[in-house]
Amino acid sequence: MSAHASHAPKRSGLWDWLTTVDHKKIAILYLVAGGIFFLAGGIEALLIRLQLMYPESNVIGAKTFNEMITMHGTTMIFLAAMPIIFALMNAVVPLQIGARDVAFPFVNALGFWLFFFGGVLINTSWFLGGAPDAGWTSYPTLALNQYSGIGVDFYVLGLQIAGLGTLIGGINFLVTIINMRAPGMTFMRMPLFTWTSFVTSGLILFAFPAITVGLVLLMFDRLFGGNFFNPDAGGNIIIFEHLFWIFGHPEVYILILPCFGIISEVVSTFSKKRLFGYSSMVFATALIGFLGFMVWAHHMFTTGLGPVANTLFGLATMLIAVPTGIKIFNWLFTMWGGQIRFNVPNLWAVGFIPTFTIGGMTGVMLSVPSADYQYHDSYFVVAHFHYVIVGGVVFGLFAGLYYWWPKMFGKMLNETLGKWNFWTFFIGFHLTFFPLHFLGLMGMPRRVYTFLHGQGLDLGNFISTIGSFGMTIGTILFLINVVVTANSKQKAPADPWDGRTLEWAIPSPPPEYNFAQTPLVRGLDALWVEKMAGNKGYVPAEPLGSIHMPSPSIIPFVMSVGLFIAAYGFMFHQYVLAGIGLAITFGSMLARSLKDDHGYHIDPEEIEEKGVKA
Amino acid sequence: MATHHANAVLPDEPEKATLEGKNKILGFWLFLGGETVLFGSLFATFIALRDQANGGPTAQELFDMPIVAWSTFILLTSSMTSVMAVLALHKKNLKQLQAWMTVTVLLGLAFLCLEIYEFNHYVHLGHTIASSAFGSAFYTLVGFHGGHVAFGIAWITTLILQSLKKGLTVVTAPKFYVAALYWHFIDVVWVFIFTVVYLMGMIGGKVG
Amino acid sequence: MGAGTHNEEVRKPKTEHGGVKRHLVAFIGSLVLTALAFIAVGFEAVPQGFVAPFIVALAFVQALFQLFVWMHMDQKGHEFARISIFAGLFFILAAIIVFVYWVWV
Repeated sequence: MSAHASHAPKRSGLWDWLTTVDHKKIAILYLVAGGIFFLAGGIEALLIRLQLMYPESNVIGAKTFNEMITMHGTTMIFLAAMPIIFALMNAVVPLQIGARDVAFPFVNALGFWLFFFGGVLINTSWFLGGAPDAGWTSYPTLALNQYSGIGVDFYVLGLQIAGLGTLIGGINFLVTIINMRAPGMTFMRMPLFTWTSFVTSGLILFAFPAITVGLVLLMFDRLFGGNFFNPDAGGNIIIFEHLFWIFGHPEVYILILPCFGIISEVVSTFSKKRLFGYSSMVFATALIGFLGFMVWAHHMFTTGLGPVANTLFGLATMLIAVPTGIKIFNWLFTMWGGQIRFNVPNLWAVGFIPTFTIGGMTGVMLSVPSADYQYHDSYFVVAHFHYVIVGGVVFGLFAGLYYWWPKMFGKMLNETLGKWNFWTFFIGFHLTFFPLHFLGLMGMPRRVYTFLHGQGLDLGNFISTIGSFGMTIGTILFLINVVVTANSKQKAPADPWDGRTLEWAIPSPPPEYNFAQTPLVRGLDALWVEKMAGNKGYVPAEPLGSIHMPSPSIIPFVMSVGLFIAAYGFMFHQYVLAGIGLAITFGSMLARSLKDDHGYHIDPEEIEEKGVKA
Repeated sequence: MATHHANAVLPDEPEKATLEGKNKILGFWLFLGGETVLFGSLFATFIALRDQANGGPTAQELFDMPIVAWSTFILLTSSMTSVMAVLALHKKNLKQLQAWMTVTVLLGLAFLCLEIYEFNHYVHLGHTIASSAFGSAFYTLVGFHGGHVAFGIAWITTLILQSLKKGLTVVTAPKFYVAALYWHFIDVVWVFIFTVVYLMGMIGGKVG
Repeated sequence: MGAGTHNEEVRKPKTEHGGVKRHLVAFIGSLVLTALAFIAVGFEAVPQGFVAPFIVALAFVQALFQLFVWMHMDQKGHEFARISIFAGLFFILAAIIVFVYWVWV
């Protein structure tokens, strides 16, 4: 039986980050990696807009353009938005429920490294034969060997690896929220960000297996001679579309629900008012999550499913607007009569509300099957989804980052730079995407690398590209803000915003163990309840005692490297290499199973006001 | 002996005596919910492609009732023996637990051998993953299931070997419990495979 | 046999195992259900149009047996286990129905 170390093993620098199982550090890893991929996706977007600035242009050729649109979409959704969402979930959810870590710290680290290596794998395609170029949806038959290059193999394998990471992350948060809430925190006393993280994790659990199967089938067709999508041997490409969108539609709710949670937190904190209609918010979140699984074929209205299918899916899609509308009204009612402060997080939140609403509106327009026959594959759709994904998800993530930055890093992001960041990005966004509605209505198709003179499309495209320069400046300002903040000597207080939830009851950044004593929760907006009762902080639910912490481990990193290597083996038909990679992964799993990890303890004496150093 | 001492102070239902144990069990059930969607998608694909034999052998021509019946009986029995193993776990009887799990693994191996023999036979008849859409769908669905059986065998064997050294504790108990859940689940999946793939294939009709 | 017993067990959440008996009953039950399905197809004991729904129904009953008895899904503390499996089943059944009717025109 191995004796456990009584003190934290001292690790520093790179090794600390490679082996950490601490949810707060994993959050930062997700944020940095997601941020870097966001920049890559942004450059891809800029190149797309530069190519489309003028008619019959040749800034980047047609083939490169196809790679750009594919990589921009894939990167932004899978490698930027989702990881940053996971960053905030990791940083905040355990704190909001009064827990010391997530349910499976080791698996948490594994989830990160799988995402990381999956994302790196996809991006090495640029140097190894060409990036995937069949669109972020990668439909066969275009995505089969006959019609596309090796890039699609990178897509198929990279996303399977990254997707596995996301799936286990989802399971982790479900178990954490179900089993590890502090005493007194019933489900109906959880903050909205935790609720939305919970429903999102459920969506991840049920949606990701569907795309895993779709990708496996595509992989079998490409690498092993399968015939799922080969019509000559009896295959059917509609199967891929169904599987992709059975995942793809819940995926967009996976993206937006956490952001809805962020908006709920920010709006109520900066209106100094409890969230209006808490129960209906929870109900709406659950309903959106459920209905999100029932609408996928609205991406397939024009494939010939027929009027019955189209009607059913169209109606279900319109139905989702109802709980979403409930949320919008509840945010407005929260602000009404509140003492509103327009700090930067709230600027983003208030910018989100009308922008997302516009995106939602065009969504309802698209949900009418007969109308969609005109909109489908036109720039109208591009306008719609950028309004909800950028105007919704990205604005929401910026709000969350500015709001929780002090908790994660112990410093407040600069307000002035933040305001410049917001306004340039916001104005740039609308300039970029509003014209696209009209370009679509005027008939400009999606995924075309150029357009002709005299089609009336010149002005819209030109303005859109100018707008993208604005978004670029906005992004750069955010980066400058991050650097300036990192170099500043300020220390943020535990509760810079006069918050309402438990994460503001502990230092910024929190000590390794989060809470010296597990809190006792006495109502909704747990910290506000204590503040109104005149207490300085949370009420502990247990005496001060020895705290058990999980040990760091390099195994998650190694397991992910193994799959990374195996992927190359499969795609280049080097099966010895594939075998070595798989052996590394499975061998690591075996090592993990055989060696007991008892963690280590932090004694009460080490728990000072400032907390134990990691 | 550490084992005996551990048994003496082992709480009832040791697999859920710790927070870690409870977390593992809940996490695994959630994972099974995801696996339901995973296998369900493979079933959906199979159902859509079941008639696309591309001129090659069809389900009617390939499937043989005795083999399927034996495979089903073996796997079902192995699921029962894993139930006995968990009952032994609750009686805190390590030796019985190890014995029943060993029988489970042996039955699982028998199932796999039968399946490999069966696939080999089909390949010789011209039914491969690349011969038709039906072939691709068949081998992917049934093969994935077989892969899960193989993984389960390796997993349970590892646990049995570990238990020789570590005995039955609040740390090892959840591992056995979760492995038994996994084994039951792959038998539940097989119930649908023998029904939807084999039996319905032998009726020779489309669904509905 | 099948439906009645499982309903009763759902209403009385157990925290203890009654021993081997219920599990053996589930085993015998599963064997019988399996045999019925094989006989229905092999001996064409059920008319053509009904065979497929019949054996699928048998499969569901057997699956429920195994989930509720062998995997203790009926017991206290398994609320989220039930939600997880039923949600997964529900979503994928919706998908399967779409695949059956809306893949081939």
